[in-house]
Amino acid sequence: MAEFLKEDIEKLIDGVLPWPAVQDMLKSPKDPGRFDKYVEILQSRVDWSETILLPLTPQLYIVAKQGERVVKCACGQEFGDYRVNWKLSSLINVREDEESLAEVYPGRDLPDPTWMQVREYICPGCGTQLEVEAVPRGCPPDFEFLPDLDVFYREWLGRPLPDTVEFTDKTLELIAEWSK
Amino acid sequence: MAKLTLKQRMQAGDEAFAKTGHLFGLEELACKEGDPGTYEAVWHILSNLCNTAWATGCKVSSSPIAAEGGDALWGLHTPTGEAICISRGITAHAGLLSDMIKNFIRAGYEEFPGFKQGDIFENNDPHYGGIHSPDFDMCMPILYEGEIIAWASAVSHVADAGSVTPGSIGFLNPDCYSDGIPISMEKVGEGDRFYPWYEMRIRSRTRTPDFVMGDARGRLAGCITIRERLYEVIAKYGLEFFLEASKEYVEDSRRYAVGRVKTQTVPGRIRKSQFKDLAMKGKRVLMGKQDKDCLFSLPMELHINADASVSLSLAGVSGTVPFGENISPTALKSGLMMGYSHIIGFDMFNSGPIAAWDIEMPPAGSWANPFEKDFQAASGVAWAPAVTWVSNLYEVFGRLFQMRGFVEEMAAGSATIMTAEFSGVNQMGAYLAGLTLEQASNGSPARGYMDGENSAWCIYTPEADFGNAEIAELYYPILFIGRNTEPDSGGYGRFRGGLGHTAVWMIYGTPGLEYQCGDAGMRSKIIVNHGMYGAYPVPPDRPSYAHDTNVKELIDAQQPLVHGRGPAEASEISERVKAREMEVAAIAPFVTPEPLQDYDLIVHPIGGAQAMGDPITRDLSAVESDLNKGWVSERVARDLHGAVFECRDGEYVVDEQASQARRAEIREQRKSRARPFRQWWSEEREKVARKENMSTAVTDMWRSSMELSDKHAAEIRAFWSLPDDFTF
Repeated sequence: MAEFLKEDIEKLIDGVLPWPAVQDMLKSPKDPGRFDKYVEILQSRVDWSETILLPLTPQLYIVAKQGERVVKCACGQEFGDYRVNWKLSSLINVREDEESLAEVYPGRDLPDPTWMQVREYICPGCGTQLEVEAVPRGCPPDFEFLPDLDVFYREWLGRPLPDTVEFTDKTLELIAEWSK
Repeated sequence: MAKLTLKQRMQAGDEAFAKTGHLFGLEELACKEGDPGTYEAVWHILSNLCNTAWATGCKVSSSPIAAEGGDALWGLHTPTGEAICISRGITAHAGLLSDMIKNFIRAGYEEFPGFKQGDIFENNDPHYGGIHSPDFDMCMPILYEGEIIAWASAVSHVADAGSVTPGSIGFLNPDCYSDGIPISMEKVGEGDRFYPWYEMRIRSRTRTPDFVMGDARGRLAGCITIRERLYEVIAKYGLEFFLEASKEYVEDSRRYAVGRVKTQTVPGRIRKSQFKDLAMKGKRVLMGKQDKDCLFSLPMELHINADASVSLSLAGVSGTVPFGENISPTALKSGLMMGYSHIIGFDMFNSGPIAAWDIEMPPAGSWANPFEKDFQAASGVAWAPAVTWVSNLYEVFGRLFQMRGFVEEMAAGSATIMTAEFSGVNQMGAYLAGLTLEQASNGSPARGYMDGENSAWCIYTPEADFGNAEIAELYYPILFIGRNTEPDSGGYGRFRGGLGHTAVWMIYGTPGLEYQCGDAGMRSKIIVNHGMYGAYPVPPDRPSYAHDTNVKELIDAQQPLVHGRGPAEASEISERVKAREMEVAAIAPFVTPEPLQDYDLIVHPIGGAQAMGDPITRDLSAVESDLNKGWVSERVARDLHGAVFECRDGEYVVDEQASQARRAEIREQRKSRARPFRQWWSEEREKVARKENMSTAVTDMWRSSMELSDKHAAEIRAFWSLPDDFTF
């Protein structure tokens, strides 16, 4: 089974691994220790100490924090329980008129604002643009991934997490609170 | 004991799979374990056998689509229809061919008319599992000492299937009766020959019969090639080994896919919404009911289960449309099989990987399952919404690979697909109708570590090839006056998608030519929802054309012509050409209102693929490189990537320090411009309730998707805190 140097995985993440080495990774059987190495690298790159349980995106991680599992940006900004769509805790900028859409898609490229809006989800901490959606009005934000962390750690990695939580989408519970 | 019929064997196989979790009940792979070298060698021989069929079949075919573009496929199947391996070419069809064979078996054809050596069976009818009429699916049983030991299959995309409008991208078809010549689960020949009436029907009911029959002979030649070469394999390795190993290849592939999911992804729920427009109001249409704008909802919800199986729901899809963009569930599943095989199960491309999927039937009456409620629904270009949906697979699995650290496997979404078709009399006086191959070479999606490649990828075929310009000029009365890489066409992100290209055609040598700018997964009013990790998706598809122009005068005066699109704010065609009728940013799809004539121009862009990552994190040296290659505009480099640069003696130089300072400013500007989500939500829900600034295409879409799924409707109402009886 192939094993790759941690330094090479870092270069891969940074987009500077030479193409022949990338091809080697693509063609070789996958290294079973990759997840741990990857998390180790990401953990070494942040200034906070909570353990990364899952890199949700290259910028957002699910971390263990005082018995809870929360979404946290590389910059340290937190977004709450990972079972609630983190977008509800972000800043949002919406382009829904010709003027604001034209800042990105001018002239010939202008979409029709009566058909769609561009939503930019911004980290309140570092100002990173975390996700962009191009959807018609009325579309709830995509909750791209709700991991079953307990199954993942217990059954796929073979090392259960110290506690378990229910695998359920809690986004609408928060919405219900907002609606009161 | 009485010999089992194929139908009984198929049922036994299904029961064995349900009982053991292994295809054909194969708990052990005896051939693989007993003789791994031979097992592997025979796989490659069979795979090459299919590729030989592809090469032979395309050479025999006569339409430029198959002969020049290789837009066809051949396959080898088990007696019960599972694909063992397939050729290069339009791999999206492997599942269709497999299901077609199963459908012939299910329908009792083994009893009547029987399956005999040399028999030729075909289907192109979506009501019986076809995708759209121009894709002629063929299969031939392969017998050995009187027993069916395998099937050979083929599909080619013919130039014209006799639909109501010329060509093969029937987006304007109002109903199934306008979809063209149906071959409805038919035996079309025997003794390796087509029946005379098959050819008569093609001659009387398609516009390019020589091409269509040439392609039929190409399919037949490829299937015969598979059969005859297979006998050589059996002579060398034995019938028993072939029969056992061929089942093992399929089960092996299923295991590979399940193993890959378990070791390279994460269990949980994936959601990705997607939309596709079809703006037809006020355009040239065929029936009154088509004078409308449509928007499709194409949501995807996947569950990766604890056992690494995958469940899929399409709840939330919208209703059928009075155009040719409805698709049968069989065809949609085939598209899924292709996408999944590209992403997960690519070690051995066959029916195995998809066996691990549990697919919820899309709601009846939706574009993805039309016929139960709308039997007349058209499917002239059914793959238009399907490829859009397959594109989602690329992005969502790219996200999963990232979570496990397999960055090298990540990909963003695909490009959109807009076709160009011509019909009319060409420079040799011959009537022509057919597809150019421009759309078969989009940019490839951004990877997790690099930009995509330019004009080198196509979602529906690994045979990404836009063909030789000279060949297109031979068939059609057009001259290429531009075929260039299109800047800014790969989205805007840390890594951009591979760029697309733009073809510029001048019409020449015809008394009149129709240009059909077709829908094969394009977006024109909207932008695709692929803003992965904060990138901006690619711009909408906006072709241009000029009719009744001064181009001849420009040529005579040796003035500059049009060779590309030019900047988004100032298109080259409007800057350089005068015309009685000009569309600079036409909303696709459409057919030109009048036939085009000599010296008219078409500017037809082919999309780049999607980007990933925040655009202000793009490496500055990559921005500088793109500026110097002309691959990114100054506007995008400056405003979206936050690069500060100057141009010295024609060479762009990026100021690293100033750019980092500018990027820091952009981060602060974003924070001050954006609002807390909750604040936006409370205002937005009021606008949703009032249907404020929402096109009827949008409200119609929401209304139908909510009517078709109570669960989907309940979730939308709950998210926006709308009353239980709210509808759009």
